[in-house]
Amino acid sequence: MKLTFSLAAATLLAASTAYAQSYPSEPVTLVVPYGPGGASDLAGRALAESAREYLGQPVTVVNQAGAGGMTGARDVTQADPDGYTLLLARVGMALSPAVNENSSVDWDEYTFISPLEATPMILAVADDSPYESVEDLLEGIKNDPGAMSYAASGATAIDGFTVQSLLADVEMDPLTAATLIPYRGGGELATALLGGHVDFLAIAAASLMPHIESGDMRPLMVFSPERMETLPEVPTAEELGYELAGQVIGWSALYGPPDLPEDVMNTWAEVMEQVAEDEMWLSRADDRGSISTIGSVDMETYAQEQYEFYRALAEQFGYLE
Amino acid sequence: MLNDLLVAFQAVATLENFLIMAAGIWGGVIIGAIPGMTGTMAVTLALPFTFYMQPIPSILLLVALYKGSTYGGSVSAILIKTPGTASAACTTLDGYPLAQQGKAGKALNMALYSSCTGDFISNLSLIFIAAPLALLALRIGPPEYFMLMIFALTTVAGVSGRSLLLGLVSACLGLLLATVGEDMYGSFRFDLTMDMQSGLAVAPVLIGLFAIPELLKIIVFRNNQSHKPMQLGDNHVTRDELRRSLKAMLKGSMIGVVMGAIPGIGPSAAAFSSYGEAQRSSKNRENFGKGELEGIAASESANNGCCGSTMIPLLALGVPGDVITGVMLGAFMIHGMTPGPMLFENNLNEVYMLFIGMLFSSVLLFGAGKATMRFFSHISRIPPGLMAPIVLALCVFGIFSISNSMYDVIVLLAMGIFGFFMFLFAIPAAPFLIAFILGPMLEENLRRALALSRGDPSILVSSPITWLFASLAIFVVVVTIRQQLKKAKA
Repeated sequence: MKLTFSLAAATLLAASTAYAQSYPSEPVTLVVPYGPGGASDLAGRALAESAREYLGQPVTVVNQAGAGGMTGARDVTQADPDGYTLLLARVGMALSPAVNENSSVDWDEYTFISPLEATPMILAVADDSPYESVEDLLEGIKNDPGAMSYAASGATAIDGFTVQSLLADVEMDPLTAATLIPYRGGGELATALLGGHVDFLAIAAASLMPHIESGDMRPLMVFSPERMETLPEVPTAEELGYELAGQVIGWSALYGPPDLPEDVMNTWAEVMEQVAEDEMWLSRADDRGSISTIGSVDMETYAQEQYEFYRALAEQFGYLE
Repeated sequence: MLNDLLVAFQAVATLENFLIMAAGIWGGVIIGAIPGMTGTMAVTLALPFTFYMQPIPSILLLVALYKGSTYGGSVSAILIKTPGTASAACTTLDGYPLAQQGKAGKALNMALYSSCTGDFISNLSLIFIAAPLALLALRIGPPEYFMLMIFALTTVAGVSGRSLLLGLVSACLGLLLATVGEDMYGSFRFDLTMDMQSGLAVAPVLIGLFAIPELLKIIVFRNNQSHKPMQLGDNHVTRDELRRSLKAMLKGSMIGVVMGAIPGIGPSAAAFSSYGEAQRSSKNRENFGKGELEGIAASESANNGCCGSTMIPLLALGVPGDVITGVMLGAFMIHGMTPGPMLFENNLNEVYMLFIGMLFSSVLLFGAGKATMRFFSHISRIPPGLMAPIVLALCVFGIFSISNSMYDVIVLLAMGIFGFFMFLFAIPAAPFLIAFILGPMLEENLRRALALSRGDPSILVSSPITWLFASLAIFVVVVTIRQQLKKAKA
């Protein structure tokens, strides 16, 4: 299998020598700014696998975790804009600068190559919880402000904003109505709910689906433009009329350092067009519980909308002075 | 169940699987033995290859690498006083003195026997008591974690060497440095440069603290301790020594199994706790830190004792306890299997194949360890003047390659100089490392617990599990104080 790949790569390489020195003439590094094994890592590796065939060069995934993804992001923005160092961007790349004045990279300090996927989030409680619906849960929170707790990666992380925007939608104080208990990573978050240490959470679907399927968790609502195929009975935040919560969703995209040359952009535009229909890419996206969004939106416009949306939330919630 | 296991046995027992596991174990031992290269790195590097493999062999390869590297860490801990992985830090305390006494072979053998014992017991626990252990692990919430960490920290008393006071100073420094970087609520501490926002990683601190000071000593003191090439001579562990260490080995394995099953704790804390416990209960207490085989048995059985049980939360609950099991979760999902309760219903056959393969790998670990030992034990004959630059190059290269970061190399060198000054003031390094590794878990779980109780500290003693760990911690502190008083009188 590997031999076939290297042969294919060699053939393509030989073919491309006709356009002397054309991009790409060596392997491309894809920086995943989070640790190995998580949802973003899996997305990055799936992209690397599917893209190599159309790119004609291997794509090497490098994990560079730290500072909520901003360490890897900053390194990529400072790399040579030659197209050989790219970034697997997540919603954090728009969210961090929106909520943190001292963010090391602004939302627009990149070249936007392409959107990749939307990753739905799920609001869930443990199986033995008394709350059967979102209204029940919100009622419970209202009865004793601060007594109910939820797990999230951080107050200004995307899985914190899911809950806070929902609370803001029903005119409760997003910061104090429910108590945030910070954990690191999807595994720890799910464990906190399974072990009964927190009352609810609203995090990436991929981390929760196994527990929902086994019946240990009950999904109350999804943060996604439409209902998830695997959970057809669970309503979306938008359907239930939650205006802010209806706009919160996770996503991945492909970014590069600022000022990528045109030939690099053209090559990747072609590659992404093919990846969008690649069977392996689509089936892996299904496995992760995410929806491929390649070619569906203009990434720069989308990133700006996202930045402005979270900027407004951060101001409303009082994270910015 | 036995019938299913037999069917799975037939499916796993192929030459291909054996070769894959043997390669994984061997590769793991070598990577683990190189300072700065860790099991996490081995597993991460191997992940892309598993995309092209069958599901079960690919998980077995990752498991084999993990087990091999956990043992491999002890090799460099014994031979060059540099733990290849953090969980082998306590092995250094007795392993290196033994190597200096010309008993490197003995120490390596003891480490191997203990690692294999811990590993095997851990596999059995995964196969037979995964469900109850997983439920127990779920019960461990923030207050329980906090108390468990307090208990684990009492090991500091055991590894302080001559002066408990200096040991405590060292531990406090470790706790302090553990706070560098972004905290769990997103505020930054000691972020003097942008890089420091991500804190200090364990690997550069570990290697900086243990390896670099040794190299500096050779340079600064011109190696005036006359150095005879160490003899391997005394190679074998006698039956009597084995019997004496058996208790430490079994207890260490149990500690490894339980701590491994709790997500997020990991082999380092298990090895520290086991070492502390063995020292407290041993008749040869005074000899610990001077080359006591029981110390090696305790530390090595506990860190490998985590290897099997760390799969328990992953397989039974679908939650990865650390980065390595996180990578394994990714490997499972790439092959269309989702770990968790449903795995036992949907993929029972694969689960049994995995179990059988893991039992095999304990045996392979023994073989690979024996084979590598012959080769590695010659390292102790290399004169330090030659060894030092090689080790330094390996350290810098290894640390840089973890995340391609010059910042980590700077941390490595800065910690090295820091460690050298600690040596000059006779401050022991082991308590620093223990506190540095446990510090974040201690702090985060205390803050979580207090957030849950809205500031009421009584949550910390609110369940039987917290009472258990609290009383164990108090017990150790009382015993330590009495020993100190006795020593002061004598």
